[in-house]
Amino acid sequence: MSWRAEPIAAGVGAAEWWMEEWVRLSAFAYRNLIMARRNVFFLFELTFWPGVAMVSHGLLTRFLDLTPQMTAFILVGTIALSAVQVCQLDVAYAVLFDIWSKSMKHQFLTPVRIHHLALGSWVVGVGRGVIVWALMALIGGRAFGFDFLGAGGMRVALFLLGCFLTALVIGLLVCALVLLWGTRAETSAWAAVNFFVMLSGIYYPVSVLPGWVQTISAGIPLTYFLDGIRAGYGFPPRFAHPFAIGFALSLLYAVLAHWALAAAVTRSRRTGLLLKLSE
Amino acid sequence: MPASPFAVEAHDLAKTFRSGWLRRRETPALRGASLQVERGAIFGLLGPNGAGKTTLLSILATLLLPDRGSATILGHDVVREAFAIRRRLNMASGNASFVWSLRPAEVLAFYGRLYGLHGRTLRARVAELLDRFELTPHLKTEYNELSTGLKQRLALAKALLNRPEVLFLDEPTLGLDPDVSIRIRAQIAELRRREGTTIILTTHYMREADELCDRIAFIKGGRILAEGSPDELKRQIRIGDVVALRLDPAAPAGLADLAGVLQVQARGDRIDCTVDSAEKRLSEILRWLVEQNVVIRDCQVREPELEEVFVELAR
Repeated sequence: MSWRAEPIAAGVGAAEWWMEEWVRLSAFAYRNLIMARRNVFFLFELTFWPGVAMVSHGLLTRFLDLTPQMTAFILVGTIALSAVQVCQLDVAYAVLFDIWSKSMKHQFLTPVRIHHLALGSWVVGVGRGVIVWALMALIGGRAFGFDFLGAGGMRVALFLLGCFLTALVIGLLVCALVLLWGTRAETSAWAAVNFFVMLSGIYYPVSVLPGWVQTISAGIPLTYFLDGIRAGYGFPPRFAHPFAIGFALSLLYAVLAHWALAAAVTRSRRTGLLLKLSE
Repeated sequence: MPASPFAVEAHDLAKTFRSGWLRRRETPALRGASLQVERGAIFGLLGPNGAGKTTLLSILATLLLPDRGSATILGHDVVREAFAIRRRLNMASGNASFVWSLRPAEVLAFYGRLYGLHGRTLRARVAELLDRFELTPHLKTEYNELSTGLKQRLALAKALLNRPEVLFLDEPTLGLDPDVSIRIRAQIAELRRREGTTIILTTHYMREADELCDRIAFIKGGRILAEGSPDELKRQIRIGDVVALRLDPAAPAGLADLAGVLQVQARGDRIDCTVDSAEKRLSEILRWLVEQNVVIRDCQVREPELEEVFVELAR
């Protein structure tokens, strides 16, 4: 599987080529949606864990008697973690479903490309991420008086898009790790997000982190998206143009993660792991 | 340039699997395998476990990269032009598995989309395959709850979604009941007859290979030891013909010492006498038995079974 787009074959019209691209991409969305409908653990991902996180963090802000502004600071982080987690899992499922069902080789036997797999599953992840956000914003608003839209509609939209792009990058990296090390790397699907959000100032400003960690934080897009939305709640931004920097970094990492996954697929064809994951 | 008569050509393919971090282990799976398969033929790959059959098939199916050698499918290189090949080939394995929660039509629709099928074409193809493999009564059953035979039929249906010109079948009847195996074999033969599909199959069942395959290659230790039609192989291996006798009295002493007699196996009043050539030795054996006052109640000559050729080669 290469990362390059397939050239339009002789005799195949551009419209037909685009249609095939869309259809391949939609295959992964189709499968993720069916799985989400039939498996109860998807419902937990969507409602239970985000609900628990929002309620427990909301109660914590009450116990600490935080101002509405500080409450927003914490709860924005809570929402970011849940939205990124849910969305990146959907991307990782594009590979994990095949690993769990030992059907990996069938997928890679077809003329499918990395971008079909990534974007198809990401679209469902975005949909589920929006549901998580809406649910958490509702709980936050009703139970703790937290107005998520108080930061401004455009800012919220940019923040969510940034979270979902971060999720795409993390999801692709998880897929690459799983194809490099097999089921041993499976736990990275759940662990990776927590590691990145910890470094990007999830419940605290990055300024409280040690200097060298702040350097790493500056390389993580979510740091900028959190900075950008918190500015909407009155916190002075640490970075100039945080959303622009965040999106630039996200796009760069998306290309690199795409390349890393393509390289991992090629390596697994060389080592035979692709077949082992189907046995 | 005229199209090659061969759908599959492999030359000197080699593959070694490496594992372990500290203690590096190397397992050679293929050590220079070459073969040619004509368009529209059914080609059998036979060999003991670990012989390299699945490795060879996987390289040809673009799932595995060879360490050495080259191979083309329908004129496309399996390493450099994998994407072009994948549109035109497909594969089904005896131990195939799909995502547990999907129902048969959903499995086919998912893979159909990956092949670029959509809309009415996809729906018609899925319905046709469900009908052909008698899966329609199981539309509401999730994959996990299907029986082994149904799973196998679904794997075959999936393998035909893109109307492949080249089809790889890895142990397609593994672990199936005899009646299901017979139906699957009939479907494989029908596929070649109706659509001219080139089929390469691996199997442990010699009868299956004998019945289906135009040509067979015996593979062992990563090398192809012999290749030919089932009849050619039986002659080529020279394990002789079997003269099956029913005698009274049974098993006269001295039969094994006759010229050309390779082996005598007695079971009650029946004797299987393996000779180098039945045509040359039959009259001598019968004459000798008459001279020994032995009554010959039955006499049949048969060629060796493919299984016996397999055992001989696998030794």
